[in-house]
Amino acid sequence: MILLIQYTLIFSAVLILVALGGMFSERSGIINLGLEGIMVFGAMAGAMVMVLLPDTASRFTIVTLTLLAAAVVGMLSSLLIGVACIYFKADQTLIGTAVNMLATAAATVIVKAFNTARSKGSDFSAKLDYVRGHDAFMFNVGSLQLSWFIVVAAILLVVAIVLFYKTKFALRLRACGEHPQAADSVGINVYAMRYAGVLMSGFLAGLGGLIYIAAANSTWHFDYGVAGAGFLALAVMIFGQWKPERIAWSAVLFAVFRSLSNVYMGIGFLSVLKIPGTVYNMFPYIVSLIVLAFTSQKSRAPKAEGIPYDKGSR
Amino acid sequence: MDDYVIEMLHITKEFPGIIANDDITLQLKKGEIHALLGENGAGKSTLMSVLFGLYTPEKGVIKKDGKEVTIKNPNDATDLGIGMVHQHFMLVDIFSVLDNIILGAEPNKFGFLTKKEARKKVLALSDKYNLKVDPDALIEDITVGMQQRVEILKMLYRDNEILIFDEPTAVLTPQEIDELMKIMKNLAAEGKSILFITHKLNEIMEVADRCTILRRGKYIGTVNVDETTKEDLSSMMVGRDVKFAVDKEVAKPGKEILRVENVCVKSKIHQNDSVHNVSFNVREGEIVCIAGIDGNGQTEFIGALTGLDDISSGKISFMGDDITHKSIRYKNTHGMSHVPEDRHKHGLVLDYTLEENMILQRYFEPDFSSHGFIKKKSMREYSDRLTEAFDVRSGRGAQTIVRSMSGGNQQKAIIAREMDRDHKLLVAVQPTRGLDVGAIEYIHKEIVKQRDEGCAILLVSLELEEVMNLSDRILVMHEGEIVGEVDPKTTTLQELGLYMSGAKHDERREAFK
Amino acid sequence: MKDNTKFFKKPAVQTILASVLCAILGIILGYIILLCMNPGHATEGMIAILRNFFKYSAKPTQLWYYFGSTLVKAVPVILCSEAILFAYKAGLFNIGVAGQYTIGILVSLYTSLALGWNWFFCLLAAVICGGLWGAICGFFKAYCNVNEVIAGIMLNWISLYLCNIILSNEKTMNITKSETYDIAAKNKAGLLPGFMQSVFGNNQYMTIAVPITVIVAILIWVVLSKTTFGFELKATGHNKDAAKYAGMNAKRNIILTLAISGAVSGLAASLFYLTSIEHYKIASSVPGMGFSGIAVAFLGGLHPIGAIVAGLFVEYITLGGQYLNTNYFNPQVADLMIAIIIYLCGFVLFFKTVINKPGKAKKKDAADEKAAAKKEVK
Repeated sequence: MILLIQYTLIFSAVLILVALGGMFSERSGIINLGLEGIMVFGAMAGAMVMVLLPDTASRFTIVTLTLLAAAVVGMLSSLLIGVACIYFKADQTLIGTAVNMLATAAATVIVKAFNTARSKGSDFSAKLDYVRGHDAFMFNVGSLQLSWFIVVAAILLVVAIVLFYKTKFALRLRACGEHPQAADSVGINVYAMRYAGVLMSGFLAGLGGLIYIAAANSTWHFDYGVAGAGFLALAVMIFGQWKPERIAWSAVLFAVFRSLSNVYMGIGFLSVLKIPGTVYNMFPYIVSLIVLAFTSQKSRAPKAEGIPYDKGSR
Repeated sequence: MDDYVIEMLHITKEFPGIIANDDITLQLKKGEIHALLGENGAGKSTLMSVLFGLYTPEKGVIKKDGKEVTIKNPNDATDLGIGMVHQHFMLVDIFSVLDNIILGAEPNKFGFLTKKEARKKVLALSDKYNLKVDPDALIEDITVGMQQRVEILKMLYRDNEILIFDEPTAVLTPQEIDELMKIMKNLAAEGKSILFITHKLNEIMEVADRCTILRRGKYIGTVNVDETTKEDLSSMMVGRDVKFAVDKEVAKPGKEILRVENVCVKSKIHQNDSVHNVSFNVREGEIVCIAGIDGNGQTEFIGALTGLDDISSGKISFMGDDITHKSIRYKNTHGMSHVPEDRHKHGLVLDYTLEENMILQRYFEPDFSSHGFIKKKSMREYSDRLTEAFDVRSGRGAQTIVRSMSGGNQQKAIIAREMDRDHKLLVAVQPTRGLDVGAIEYIHKEIVKQRDEGCAILLVSLELEEVMNLSDRILVMHEGEIVGEVDPKTTTLQELGLYMSGAKHDERREAFK
Repeated sequence: MKDNTKFFKKPAVQTILASVLCAILGIILGYIILLCMNPGHATEGMIAILRNFFKYSAKPTQLWYYFGSTLVKAVPVILCSEAILFAYKAGLFNIGVAGQYTIGILVSLYTSLALGWNWFFCLLAAVICGGLWGAICGFFKAYCNVNEVIAGIMLNWISLYLCNIILSNEKTMNITKSETYDIAAKNKAGLLPGFMQSVFGNNQYMTIAVPITVIVAILIWVVLSKTTFGFELKATGHNKDAAKYAGMNAKRNIILTLAISGAVSGLAASLFYLTSIEHYKIASSVPGMGFSGIAVAFLGGLHPIGAIVAGLFVEYITLGGQYLNTNYFNPQVADLMIAIIIYLCGFVLFFKTVINKPGKAKKKDAADEKAAAKKEVK
């Protein structure tokens, strides 16, 4: 049971961060289907920092630098989407898909090259080990093993909620996603706000990617990408109706199911049922599809999302 | 020297093939209400785009308080204290009134909103100018009139001195128009300068001090309103004496074609019906017109009639056939033609060629297809015949992509298509919107010709002149109900106005069955 | 000179130029990546990728054999891109092709290995189930207003897990290797009939899949450009309100379009896996084929025949990765190049305006168009 809680917390943290990222991007008017790819980039950067840091590095250094690397690389990779979709007005679905493919391919190539170089040609795998880095993030509360990642996620969630409801920035951001012409007419730079939204999604998804690979594992194969976590986060975001506090609740819901597939063996009555673990994996997707079917008629998606903004057409 | 706040002197703006503004001068005095009058395409919006820095003029200067200024983008204009109420409101639907007003000029401490002061200021302004709004209501829940007051408050909140109203009355009820006129006078009395873009003469006569007239991109003149008459203004606007009557014989109505009984349509926005208990009939050989102010259920009713929207109760019979719940395809193929209100949204597939648009509802008929394949040759011939007959002009004939055609020719193409289809009823919604005078006359003539050939015609129009000239019977719609039926030969504009505003309600209508 | 400009203004020519530009830029960027990884051997690596199976040019049998393999491996990606562009023409972004393809794998392998059906019925079953899977997505879109991209993504994952559950069965899978059995060994009748194998150096994977792909592409082209059904679909894709106004049945068309798209995806999987050239392995993510299909569709200028060319090109580059000297590079560099090319496809619109109006004229014309558009709106 404790294991279930641990896994749920970790998956919740991932889903909350990435879904919030998706939310900020969509609120500014850019559909970010590339969350998955950004997660891969962020995860790779974080993992590499953990591998590269010398053994003497303090826990604090490891935690800070790793998080920083993931966030910064996440933001940089989100610019792939930002520049294409905002400046070049490219198709947002196509670009998002391309970034996902790009991320997995690039991560594989880079990690393999990295391993090859480090091992002087004996290791060609796309796998990184970061046991020490993984351990640096852990602390215990009673018998519950927790990770700093969860604390970071919790803090960012609170920050996101305050930001979203209380600040001038968010008011402007939301205006750009709903009615960019109106925002422009009162002197708001729609392009800048959209870049901001995309960069925030990069920041959050980069961190989310790192947590996904590092919170429960101490090794990761990068040719798998992040196995659909980014898409799951998109579902969480829609389920949460583009609102931060609702996103948090739906993330927890999704995380419970995801965790069940990992730990159902250890839970008495579930292991008796003899349902393959894969079924639990499938569950969140089925649930969200059904929920979407019932809620999409009055969906509150930002009105102008997916439509490139052209200053001339006001 | 007069005291001008804004002067636009000798502005010339050219687009290839057209001079949108040709040596235009507009001078706005402090504290006056200045009307800018002109037909569609006269160059009013180009001139305003120049003022807001969206276009750079080839020639001419702009002066603020006598000093020359350059305006490169809308923000420069805002800095000079110029604000505008756009024809299509620039409001975010899901934001509150207060959020919309402060958007872009948010009071804040370290980036955190401090709405308390903003609310105080907004309430004070709202009191001072009698602009009643509920600061916490969402835009999507409030009336169009209140939305417009929010737009005005947006300008006042920013302490703008020069206020531009772009066709502000098109969407308002007469009461709301009256109220707006009062507000505008109030604002002028407080020292604000107002530029009022319109093509409605009555409103100019009522509130404006002076009026500048544009026609086809040219500056015609500036007059003092109290020294002129409506007739003078209108002949300056169109360039000749306006012929008010359309030549037509007296209608000889035949048998009933369309019968509408107690039709109701649920609103998509609010709880009430947007169309309530509408009943009337249309006979062959007559033009029946639904008049009313925009947004009183006309669009929804036509949607229900033609099948674009769902009907919630009532019955529609067409030549004795109950078509209440029949599909659009059924109505199309059984003799109903429809010139839609929005030609870009419904009427045309803009990225299709002209010939493809000509067979948009008929592609599956044996004339144009066999075994599921389109007969390209008959499509081409048909399109060529129609474009010839209706004088539709396009760059590359049948293969022209419709998007590249002018609005007038696009509309003509729709009219040609709808009139050539085998039909007994023509539903025409604002068939002349946005067209020039020549095209309007042509379309009016075609409609009358259809009538004389025995077609039943249901016309929906917002232009009172069109209503009075073209129709044989007028039904007035107000808040989703038909409130009166009048004869255009015996009624007056005043009477029509009373019905449209809901001030007059014809009791006999209740008994109609 | 005058004729020249006219030639470049033809939309078809522009589309081709834009795609070629994407491909060339992608290759250049790929070369830069090789340079970063190993400057000394980058040129050699790039040549290996581009030269590909032509390195066997001295030995015709082998040359034809590897050419055949390229064709066979291009089949699924071409068909997936046909599925995507077909839906795209009707205004639907069928990201669910990946899932429909997965269902195709599941059904063709299960019917072949577990049930021992003849190839024709395996194929048919895969096509039908792929179509149904697509129709589910269409149903959600048409009746519940769920965005087809979102529904497609959900269905992709559901199909992946379904595939994993059902195929991890002793009848179909070598559990220890977690890989499906070879159809050739288990059910000979399940293999697709060969096609001109002797010409292609006795390549046993060369089957009727290749001509079927060409036929399907031509069929899709005919349906889209010549038939009333295509007329409806494209009208709906361009302007769904006008399509409704014209009496077209939007809901039916959405479901039908996605069903056809799904059926083509199912066919893609079936034509690939029933050659037994590859076995299904338990996977943790959705097969990339559907996503590569998006790339190929866009690279091919969203034209059914263009997709064939683009598909061959993409497969050529991907396979080219295997000719890289693994001491210096890893073969995924080719995947990376493909991903870059797809990303660049997003800029096609931009490239087109560049080709269209070079230099200053471009800005002015754009302004004019806007002005004209503005006038019309008024």
